[in-house]
Amino acid sequence: MPITCDRIAAKVSPQATFLRLGNGATLVHQEMPASAVVSVDVWVKAGATSDPVSCLGMAHFLEHMIFKGTEAIAAGEFDLVIESEGGTSNAATSLDYAHYNFTVAASRFAIALPYLSQMLLEAKIDEQELEQERLVVLEELRQAMDDPDWIAYQHLMETAYGDHVYSRSVLGSEAVVSGITATQMREYHRANYRPENMTVAIAGAITREEAIKVVDAAFTRNTFSRNVPKNILSNVSPEALNTQALPTSTMRRDTISLPMLQHSRLNMAWMGASVANLEDAIQLELVTMILTEGRSARLVRELLEESNLVQDIAGSFALQQEAALFTISAYLDAENLEMVEHKIIQQVQDLQNYPIAEAELNKAKRSLCNQFIFALESPSQLANFLGYHSLLGCEELCTDWSNAYCEIIRKVQPSDLQNLVKKYLSLENYIVTCAVPT
Amino acid sequence: MSLAVSQRISDRLVLSNGIVVLVTENPTADIIAARCFFAGGERVETPAKSGLTHLASSLLTRGTERYSSLEIAEQVESIGASLGTEASSDYFVLSLKTITSDFHDMLLLGSEILRSPSFPNSELDLERRLTIQSIRSQQERPFTIAYDRLQHLMYGDHPYGFSSLGTEASVRAITREDLVDFHRQHLRPDQMVVSIAGKISSAQAIALVEEAFGDWQSPQSVGFNTPEPNFQPLLVTHQQDTQQAIVMIGYPAPSVHSPDYAAIKIISTYLGNGLSSRLFVELREKRGLAYEVSAFYPTRLETSQFVAYMGTASQNTGTALAGLRHECERLANTPLTAEELSTCKSKLLGQYALGKQTNSQIAQVYGWYEVMGLGLEFDHKFVEAIEAVTEADVQNVAQKYFTTPAISVVGSSDALKLVHCHE
Repeated sequence: MPITCDRIAAKVSPQATFLRLGNGATLVHQEMPASAVVSVDVWVKAGATSDPVSCLGMAHFLEHMIFKGTEAIAAGEFDLVIESEGGTSNAATSLDYAHYNFTVAASRFAIALPYLSQMLLEAKIDEQELEQERLVVLEELRQAMDDPDWIAYQHLMETAYGDHVYSRSVLGSEAVVSGITATQMREYHRANYRPENMTVAIAGAITREEAIKVVDAAFTRNTFSRNVPKNILSNVSPEALNTQALPTSTMRRDTISLPMLQHSRLNMAWMGASVANLEDAIQLELVTMILTEGRSARLVRELLEESNLVQDIAGSFALQQEAALFTISAYLDAENLEMVEHKIIQQVQDLQNYPIAEAELNKAKRSLCNQFIFALESPSQLANFLGYHSLLGCEELCTDWSNAYCEIIRKVQPSDLQNLVKKYLSLENYIVTCAVPT
Repeated sequence: MSLAVSQRISDRLVLSNGIVVLVTENPTADIIAARCFFAGGERVETPAKSGLTHLASSLLTRGTERYSSLEIAEQVESIGASLGTEASSDYFVLSLKTITSDFHDMLLLGSEILRSPSFPNSELDLERRLTIQSIRSQQERPFTIAYDRLQHLMYGDHPYGFSSLGTEASVRAITREDLVDFHRQHLRPDQMVVSIAGKISSAQAIALVEEAFGDWQSPQSVGFNTPEPNFQPLLVTHQQDTQQAIVMIGYPAPSVHSPDYAAIKIISTYLGNGLSSRLFVELREKRGLAYEVSAFYPTRLETSQFVAYMGTASQNTGTALAGLRHECERLANTPLTAEELSTCKSKLLGQYALGKQTNSQIAQVYGWYEVMGLGLEFDHKFVEAIEAVTEADVQNVAQKYFTTPAISVVGSSDALKLVHCHE
């Protein structure tokens, strides 16, 4: 059965441009002529996985310090440049990356971008500013510690990934963050914030030629890139990072109790596909859809609608550099933990044992493709998508975004789905973490 | 400034039964968003039945004369559309998003849901349980606890003072008859606005709305009165063993119809909007007191509120409270400079223009103006009103509204000691 995204794809503007610029940065660009804005999302391959072992929390702390400016740009100046005409900006750090985005009226793009590029390439990392911002980072950490879902998520990651870098908290710890020095951060910055580690994604009311011109000019300041001391590079070079292999699949189970909880949390997780196995990874999203998206999804129907064993249930799988977790998470009363885990495993077993009906599969495909289209309506959404997938090296998914994703979804057959579930979702070996009220 | 953003042409038509239809054609993506608004919302609730609008909105998609809960879900999910209902302070809304070719079917389903809900008892039991569980879950969040307590000080028994979910007791007290009454009284064509944006012509859209809703007749009107808000400028605290204390202050603020509305919007932008705002720069960037610090001023039909808040380390609780108050109240004595005012206007109006990018955003903004009784012309009246605000206006409204706030603090016993000393 043809699915909806084909028709949409035919009408969306041509493919995005993906190219490596002379300065080493990667540019991915999609013109959206009907828009009045330009969105930029710069992705830097320097997330928590590249934190030096003695400085966990470094990548995130640096993300804050980027906004403290350079010799030429005062702290807060960029925020004012963006916001004074109604633009917005934000930044975030995750395991594989840090990214920085802004959206402005199209006429402001060429003014705003050089500010961001200069901050990224030439961050000053002033000692006094660092002391000041350390307080803010510690407040962010305290806020997270008051959030039971953050604690439960971190607990899951630690249990699932063990010694692998993905078990790290992006925020670091109070003790370590308290000790990070300006010198350490400058060294880390000089080693990692280089054009060749960056992808600049641009979507909106700007032509390809103009985008190339502005980005080429903005990202060429490589004043420090030729004189990075060798010992720094050897400490934090990307090759040194992923030495710990992903944990092998065994059953891992752990429970914590938290004083503030009104309801328990159940997190079940399996090691999913990495970006090296792109089709599997995207197709795992179909499994999420079938199990947990919407009232007619299998687990929602059984556990929430029909038996009220859970208060809420959700699934997630997101593409990462290395294997991400396929998770199913529920809010429920503690006495139902065992029963719900059992029923989730039963549903996984069903997907392994019986081919899915065409109608149910088509429903999930159609929902996923439409969700994809809905989620890329605005320039900022599209810039985010293009930047992230470009950082991960999924060139085709970027240049042919309006077709490629749905093509991968479309070709799944019932037997493929069965095999996929057998390959990734073991009935015996999975990770369970629970958080229960004290 | 990119004026092009706000220059979309919207058509407005009133059907014979009173439904106002707004259509904004936007052919850039093959998507249509629609919002069906009804005047009322939480504003029409009584304290004893607080949470009624929320519960009614959850139940509308859980059964109609023709379809069961699951059949509704199947219809929406099988074509990959999205359909949701939501209760807000001053309105109720059903939202739809589809690809163009599915819009007709989804609008008809929306019509069935809005016109003929059956409120099955089994679904009421389920939603009631889920709502009570959500009310309990809110106790896991220090911010929500602080905000709920502040609302009570701001409004007393006025419906704005209650959480949209209601209380455990009020949710238990709501019966099926209450829902049926709510539906009959408040979901009616003469209180309805349908706002559509996307790849559809105005004529097509109006014909579809006529088909789906044209023969719907309104019952006789039943008026309702809201009590006067009872503002108590007191301190309320709640002890919890948290890492951060949440400090929140609230001042009563004018409704959207007040001549002071635009000046308070300017103040709200100046103090609380974004990374370059005054609270952010003074309390976070310069003093490192918080990660999150902000302020908001919701646009409401009746007396609104201006709220400023932050999360801070226990030992900084007193300093944080003094800092929030100082920044708000200094505007009564220290006028904004001409440059600060002009930057604020450009920020606010620029954001306003940039906030109408997706079809959902467009459908939301115009439909909301209409259901609030402001009309489509508010789109440019708002801009004019903001442009007209002077330094003196800002100072005058600060003097008028920012006097003694209600204060709500959630935190450890050490944190609470520090605010009690401050009294």
